[in-house]
Amino acid sequence: MSGLLLAAASESPKVHLTSQTRVIAAVLALAFMGLVLELIRRDKLQERFSVVWFVAGLGMLVGAAFPGLLTLVADAMGVRDTNVALFSIVLLFLLGLALNFSVTMSRQAAQITRLAQERALEKANAQANNGKSHDMTRSSGR
Amino acid sequence: MRTLVFIPAWNEEGSVASVIADVRECLPEADLLVIDDGSTDATGERAREAGALVASLPFNQGLGAALQTGYLYALREGYGACAHLDADGQHPPREVARLLQEIYGDRADLVIGSRYRDPSKAESDDYKPTLSRRIGTGVFRFFLTLATRQRFTDTTSGMRAANRLVMALFSEHYSPDFAEIESLQLAVREGLRVEELPVRMLERAGGSSFLTPLRSAFFIFKGMIVLLVGQFRPRHAEASER
Repeated sequence: MSGLLLAAASESPKVHLTSQTRVIAAVLALAFMGLVLELIRRDKLQERFSVVWFVAGLGMLVGAAFPGLLTLVADAMGVRDTNVALFSIVLLFLLGLALNFSVTMSRQAAQITRLAQERALEKANAQANNGKSHDMTRSSGR
Repeated sequence: MRTLVFIPAWNEEGSVASVIADVRECLPEADLLVIDDGSTDATGERAREAGALVASLPFNQGLGAALQTGYLYALREGYGACAHLDADGQHPPREVARLLQEIYGDRADLVIGSRYRDPSKAESDDYKPTLSRRIGTGVFRFFLTLATRQRFTDTTSGMRAANRLVMALFSEHYSPDFAEIESLQLAVREGLRVEELPVRMLERAGGSSFLTPLRSAFFIFKGMIVLLVGQFRPRHAEASER
């Protein structure tokens, strides 16, 4: 979010943010971090998944406080346009995060499968144990 | 040797009972387990009525997970040998008995029943593959042979017999996405003796194949990726991932 604001503010290669946009960016970053905390508090988000989002919020806040940092990063990357540098970083970050979620999902899918298998085998074992007494009642009934 | 025959079944209420009866007749010594893979019809009830033990997965998990359930059961209950066949009536249990003989004789760890046999001996109700099936089979044959350096003709056969080495391996590592092919690659890579035996297969009695041409193409593409990735998997991977 601060990225968009930063991008909008930088028409020249150097990043020039008015104090107004910086305040808005900072407020948005704080609101984002507040939202993350609130989600944890209401058990909608587990702590271990929240760290990365909290760090992202901090990054937004730092970007709003020190817009010059972005220019430094862009220079270090050898990118003339700071907007491109910003979007590249954000894009790579989100790509990595999406991959991380796929890995998590794969692990959980495997766990769910094993859980289903264990449950199925328990049922089969219960049937086997019941079956013994069941067969006896059936044969005595006829 | 104590033997378990297991039958993965997904919505096969029309054929599962007769398959169970056939297995009973041809393999009277073997215990029977039907793995009901989250069927929405009466597959589980039909199997229970037919006198089979039924392991019902609470939701559909795919063929790989269903087969793994069978291997897991066989391993835990201490069976010396196990075999599985499809629930749609394509696999005559008499042929499963032949596969098991190879396991009893310790001539192989895993035996695959291949539907491709000498065409001159073909009978009228034999299995006849469709064109898309033949293309897919050719591609898989080529790549699996390349990957394992062992000749396979029927890479997707669901009629197999196995000993305890295979049970131990497959109950831990069995790809849910591409069970048949990857399991062969895995078994060969782990140094197990995998053997193919030509068997007679019939046209399916009920249900229909899930393969349409587009799906077949995707199936083949996915299979090739799976095989490629499989070549780079670590051997004797630790069994403690889950």
